[in-house]
Amino acid sequence: MWVTTATLEALALVALVVVLGPVLDLFDLRWWMLAPLVLVDAAYVAVVPAWRYRVHRWEVTDTAVYTQTGWWSRERRVAPMSRIQTVDWNQGPVERLFGLANVTVTTASAAGALSVAGLDRRTAEQLVAELTEKADAVAGDAT
Amino acid sequence: MSEDWQRLDRRMLLVHPVREVLRFMPVLIGVLVFGSTSGGGVGVRWELLGVLVPVALGVLRYLTTAYRVHEGRVELRRGLLQRHLLAARIDRVRTVDTSASLIQRVLDLSTVRIGTGASEQDLDLDGLRAGPARELRAQLLRESAAAPTDELPDPAADTEPEEPPGRPVLRLDPTWSRYAPLTSTGLAIAGALLTALTQLPLPLDAGDLAVAGVAMAVAALLALAVVVSVLAVGGYLVTNWGLTLTHEHGSWHLRRGLTTTRETSVDDARLAGVSIAQPVNLRLAGAARLSSIVTGLQGEGQSQMELVPPAPRAVVVGVAGEVLGDHAPAAATLLPHGPAAVRRRWARALAPALVVAVAAAVLVAQTGLGAWLLGVAALAPAAGALLALDRSRMLGHALLDGRLVAQSGSLTCRRDVLGVEHVIGWNLQDSWFQRRAGLTTLVATTAGGRQRVVVPDVPEGRAVELAAAATPDLLAQFRA
Repeated sequence: MWVTTATLEALALVALVVVLGPVLDLFDLRWWMLAPLVLVDAAYVAVVPAWRYRVHRWEVTDTAVYTQTGWWSRERRVAPMSRIQTVDWNQGPVERLFGLANVTVTTASAAGALSVAGLDRRTAEQLVAELTEKADAVAGDAT
Repeated sequence: MSEDWQRLDRRMLLVHPVREVLRFMPVLIGVLVFGSTSGGGVGVRWELLGVLVPVALGVLRYLTTAYRVHEGRVELRRGLLQRHLLAARIDRVRTVDTSASLIQRVLDLSTVRIGTGASEQDLDLDGLRAGPARELRAQLLRESAAAPTDELPDPAADTEPEEPPGRPVLRLDPTWSRYAPLTSTGLAIAGALLTALTQLPLPLDAGDLAVAGVAMAVAALLALAVVVSVLAVGGYLVTNWGLTLTHEHGSWHLRRGLTTTRETSVDDARLAGVSIAQPVNLRLAGAARLSSIVTGLQGEGQSQMELVPPAPRAVVVGVAGEVLGDHAPAAATLLPHGPAAVRRRWARALAPALVVAVAAAVLVAQTGLGAWLLGVAALAPAAGALLALDRSRMLGHALLDGRLVAQSGSLTCRRDVLGVEHVIGWNLQDSWFQRRAGLTTLVATTAGGRQRVVVPDVPEGRAVELAAAATPDLLAQFRA
């Protein structure tokens, strides 16, 4: 999934440069100017998705949720079950193509949303059910 | 308070129409202009209508608005064509604010705003007599405090001895307004004035400027500084006049304002912590400002209530101690983050400065531009070094008696104090550079204030320890 997204991003960037360059007359476009861009993009597509995939982890215990995301800069997030406010399940076009889904867990803090990307659809649904049930079992209004 | 529907005060009959007329002013002026140009008796009728419609609207608003406190709920009914019935359970009432504009104060009226955490649900009782307004407010606060909530009770509230009612913790000293020109408000005013000046069609060209010389420019700048200072001081006094902070009925009350007086209350249990901001301009003058971190309210404006406007540091620290019930967090010296974090501060401040310096030097060498660029080249690293020094000096954290204290920044230095029971979760962020240096940025997420308290560049092991010490049962299971 990330390979696809990254490829799309890279293609979009190249297309943007190819189209915008002549149209806006910003700079004189030569093929050799495109070459490094394409190279960088290719490297990006080759390396970053795999890197992302290796970094991305998630774990749910009885009392907390934990995620790890990113590639160059990483972020690990922990939120206790008792503070979970909503559990969102969503699928973008790319995810639907591969039968995957994302799960996002939000807390009362705007800085505390945890998301697990690219889960198998069924796993994602199970995760949502599990989280909802566990969050429900803990008392408190989650603020 | 009885259980019947109550009207707003009768004197609002005076306020509403005036306000409506003011709101219709553009239309009225339009009608007047139109009437005078078209001439004849027709214009007079239109003008009358223009006054009567707003007045009628004002009267209608008075007649259709009513409120009551009933069966543990506050209810507000309003609207003629589209009727609204707003109801809020008293134990869900989070803030009760009163404010009074100039017209209202003349008539001894005030507006009561009941906040329930959802911004849509704010109940506005616009226009009660000051007496009943105070009574209603006290009643709501008492009942919402007494009502059994499913909130975590604040341990501080239980252990604190009952204070004599209305003991003022802070009163505004008008001389503090000397700090006003140093704040961003002062800068904003200066910016606005400058733009206004440049917009003026001054008959100036280069020749005139040369003739007028440096003296004029200096005089103009001085004049600008004086005007800005006066405006800033004036603004400070108008907003903060008569500011008092008191503690009663288990909540904090803040009162201030010269023309419009506002009174805001925050429940003890919702006061998650405080944040002391001391941006460099205030810090140099020995001043700081204090705001509270309040959970469960919508929007930054509400959840980050300013408790003390720019005031001497000692005062701010004292009030922070009073509010927290513990003087240690605001005044304590913090644990430094170690040599790796200091190195990172220096690297981050110096690298861009060096880039600027090198760029300037290259430019001068290549194009032979003015030598003043070399001055920039020399100044940039110096400024960078100062910044790095200050930033690494201010950086620190501590965990004191169930409160997380974090301080960082230089130009916008801030010390956040947050009760650990208000920490929702933890984020640990580290870039590749940070991982190489063994550092990580620890972020405690919370429901109030800026939604987060950031402890930048802590050694990885210490970050995990800190988080584990603050919320023991949360992180233990993930520690491998």
